[in-house]
Amino acid sequence: MSGKQKNDILQGTLALLVLRTLKTQGALHGYALTNHIRRISSDLLRVEEGSLYPALHRMEQDGLVRSKWGLTEKGRKARMYSLTAAGERQLAEETKSWARLTQGVALVLENS
Amino acid sequence: MAWTRRLRNLFGRERLERQIDDELAFHIAERADELATEGLSEAEARRQALIQFGSYTRRKEDIREIDLLSRLDAVVGDVRFGLRTLLGSPAFTATAVLSLVLGIGANAAIFSIINALMLRSLPLADPAALVEVQSKEIGYEFTNPIWEQMRDHQPALSGVLAWSADRFDLAQGGEGRFARGMWVSGDFFRVLGVPALHGRVFTPQEDRRGTPPVAVIGYSFWQRNFPKDANVVGKTVRLNGHVFEVVGVTPPWFTGLDVDTSFDVAIPIACEPILHTDRSMLDMRSAWWLRMLGRLPPGRSLQQAEAQLRSYAPALLRATVPVEFPISDQQDFLKAAFRLSPAATGFSDVRDRYKTALFALMAIAALVLLITCANVANLLLARASVRHRELAVRLALGASRMRVVFQLLTESLLLSLAGTAAGLLLALLGSRVLVRLISTRGNPLAIDLSPDANLLAFSAGTAILTAILFGLAPAFLATRGDLNQSLKEHARGHVAGAARFHLGKALVAGQIALSLVLLIAAGLFLGTLRNLLTTDLGFNRHGVLLVAAQFEEKAVAKERRVGLADEVVTRLRAIPAVVSASSSLRTPITDFGWNQLVEPEGYRPTSRMDTLVWLNRVSPGYFSTMDSPLRLGRDFAEADSLTAPKVMIIGEGAARHFFGSADPLGKTIAMDGFPGSAKKDVYQVVGVVKDSKYQLVDESQRLTAFVASGQDSDPRARVNFEIRSAGPLAPLAQAVRSAIVSTSPHVSLEFRDLETQVNESVMQPRVVALLSSVFGLLALVLAGVGLYGVTAYGVARRRNEIGIRIALGAQRWSVIWLALRDVGMLLTVGIVVGLGGSLALGRLIRSLLYGVRADDPRQLAAAATILAACGFVAAYAPARRAAGQDPLTSLREE
Repeated sequence: MSGKQKNDILQGTLALLVLRTLKTQGALHGYALTNHIRRISSDLLRVEEGSLYPALHRMEQDGLVRSKWGLTEKGRKARMYSLTAAGERQLAEETKSWARLTQGVALVLENS
Repeated sequence: MAWTRRLRNLFGRERLERQIDDELAFHIAERADELATEGLSEAEARRQALIQFGSYTRRKEDIREIDLLSRLDAVVGDVRFGLRTLLGSPAFTATAVLSLVLGIGANAAIFSIINALMLRSLPLADPAALVEVQSKEIGYEFTNPIWEQMRDHQPALSGVLAWSADRFDLAQGGEGRFARGMWVSGDFFRVLGVPALHGRVFTPQEDRRGTPPVAVIGYSFWQRNFPKDANVVGKTVRLNGHVFEVVGVTPPWFTGLDVDTSFDVAIPIACEPILHTDRSMLDMRSAWWLRMLGRLPPGRSLQQAEAQLRSYAPALLRATVPVEFPISDQQDFLKAAFRLSPAATGFSDVRDRYKTALFALMAIAALVLLITCANVANLLLARASVRHRELAVRLALGASRMRVVFQLLTESLLLSLAGTAAGLLLALLGSRVLVRLISTRGNPLAIDLSPDANLLAFSAGTAILTAILFGLAPAFLATRGDLNQSLKEHARGHVAGAARFHLGKALVAGQIALSLVLLIAAGLFLGTLRNLLTTDLGFNRHGVLLVAAQFEEKAVAKERRVGLADEVVTRLRAIPAVVSASSSLRTPITDFGWNQLVEPEGYRPTSRMDTLVWLNRVSPGYFSTMDSPLRLGRDFAEADSLTAPKVMIIGEGAARHFFGSADPLGKTIAMDGFPGSAKKDVYQVVGVVKDSKYQLVDESQRLTAFVASGQDSDPRARVNFEIRSAGPLAPLAQAVRSAIVSTSPHVSLEFRDLETQVNESVMQPRVVALLSSVFGLLALVLAGVGLYGVTAYGVARRRNEIGIRIALGAQRWSVIWLALRDVGMLLTVGIVVGLGGSLALGRLIRSLLYGVRADDPRQLAAAATILAACGFVAAYAPARRAAGQDPLTSLREE
């Protein structure tokens, strides 16, 4: 996958954001996920919208999320994603390692 | 589960594409809606939405790759990983595949014969509509008058045909060279839907009496006898000395209605008088020789057609009643009913004769495969203990249990596929060898064993089933248990190894049980064969040359035939090595038979069939040639001629049955003369001969009687000669041939010896005994390997314990005993289960046994003893090795 994005770091942590969002918001379709991530990150984290979908599919293959087709309020057919048990565990782990990473980086930045 | 979806994806690619499109289109539509609420025009909103989305095509491709290609990669990855693991342990793989090849090969070989004979339809258009006309009362062979009525008046079928298998001599005198022939009705080829490859097939014109002698020849006969000659039409073939003009050749795919032979020549039924000049069967109402087939009209069920035929039957029967029959038989005939039986799979002598044997062999082969599966499962278990850490690490790294089980099953499937592929090759070879085994010189078989969809489906099914049978339990056991425990466990995997060890033992016990069943079956079949080969036939099968001489009916007049045969016998006796010679109507242990109801003097029959006697007509010297001793009275003599009083020699059994303890000599026996003569012939009993077998080696003794060939008022042109020699038989043939041909050149000869004739009649038991012995031996070896493995594993697990015992002063023999005790237990359990199974299955093969009982305790004990002995021998080596170990080494290893 191409890495020429404005916020490259998002590529590695996109999964974490998706898992977190699904954990707090429950089942969502891809469009809602995009909007939600953009809104809560105050537009700081902005990605090419299409790149979310390959990530979602890969996460589904890995058993972190599951999907099913449903109807939106407007009566459109949409694929809704939700968290699996494995996804929850993954979220816990990644949250921890993210915390360690940021802590570590912060320490380095402060002390050097 | 990931891999079930992946399989669905592989097959549902279009659906997958559509789902991706739907999902992405939804996103763009939602975005466009939002932009539109911000005031953009609809078109502009859509344009912006697409821009924000990024490259649509590339995203779609990315997703598709993830959903589809990467998943396919995973399957390929499993296969590649499996192949690598299997190739990494070549000894294991070779052992497993080899046992599978034997197990699957045996099954595929037997199945391909069953398939060719019983399952495959004839290569005709709409074979399912083909039905055979049969009658419970009459049988399946009918007279020509019945056929002609059926042909002209039957209301039920859309096309009918009649045919009869025969053989025709291609040679012009001397030793016969026989072609497989068919008598066929004019419509035969049209009803079957067989066109001519060259020339034409027969037409209803050929049903007319006096039709000129014409023949349609089969493709392979054409290839053999008229190599690459496209102008064969108009050439001639000689059949039994008569010239027939070839009018057509059939295509290669049509080999006749028999699936175990291939026809050479077909000639019209209406040509029958040309070959049988003595007496034609065309108008005989008691010559049963034609089989009748028809096609169901589209939309008419077999039951409907049968009902129509049934209401038509009385008219047909009235028109064809055999007037020469006794009145009571005529009345029975008039009550006959017709039924229809599906004929899509064609006809097969072998099928009829070998059916039970084939099913028994199929069952035996299936048992062998089960044993093989147990063996491979055991190998996998042993391997699982080696791979335990590898699997535990993979599970710890996050692979789901199903994922690992699937990987292990992929390996099993690879093993079974390799086994099946090689097994199929073995089967192609094995089934041909098998057919060669049951093929005889007089009856060469041509069974089409080329692999077809049935065989491939069977093999694929077997492959998958065996993979599951031997792979599933080990795969689940290998991935069971607490991960931490497994990782911490000692490298040899002792704790979780217990479950595997128990399953391994159960598998070996099962193998022993199955092997015992096979050994007992082999023992029973061998016993049957031994009994058949040594049973007292009532004659001495050794050292007798048989010659069947077919004199040309026209060239040798009836009045000359008896004298001619006597003359031949005189010349045969003059040959130096010949001890004695004789002639007869038939020779023993052949299908051709002659039976009649008789009226012995002073005997009151208890039922109608009570006086049915099986007859032969023989010349003086027959009994001494056959080595059947006369018990009372005299042999036939020259003086027993047409003008002398009629005489008869009866078997001991008949003498006892009809006359009890009274002296049978001088008693009279009356019976009907040949069909058409109203007067009964009265014979005087002049001798009693030792009972002998008539048609089959394993028949129960029949009532037999012999009449003198010198008193035959209607001699046939076919005579059998028996020649007993003190020396080898083969060198005799030349002298015998010239003795006969010099008496009359208008003759076709066929040589064989009595021993071969008897032995070929027990071909089926011979083949069954041979195969079941081979399979039994295979089972024994596999069971031995299993016991060896489980013992070796057992002592390895208890290495420390044994080391301590030895260090504490245990005797060598007590350590060996320790290991063998387990083996003894397995053997006991296996043998008890196996005996139970054998007793239960014994009933199914009763019809294949002769002179042995399936529950004969000696047979059972013998098989169990052999098995137990082999078991202990197999287990002794690892047990002794364990007893010989150095206690220090094994303890230090801890």
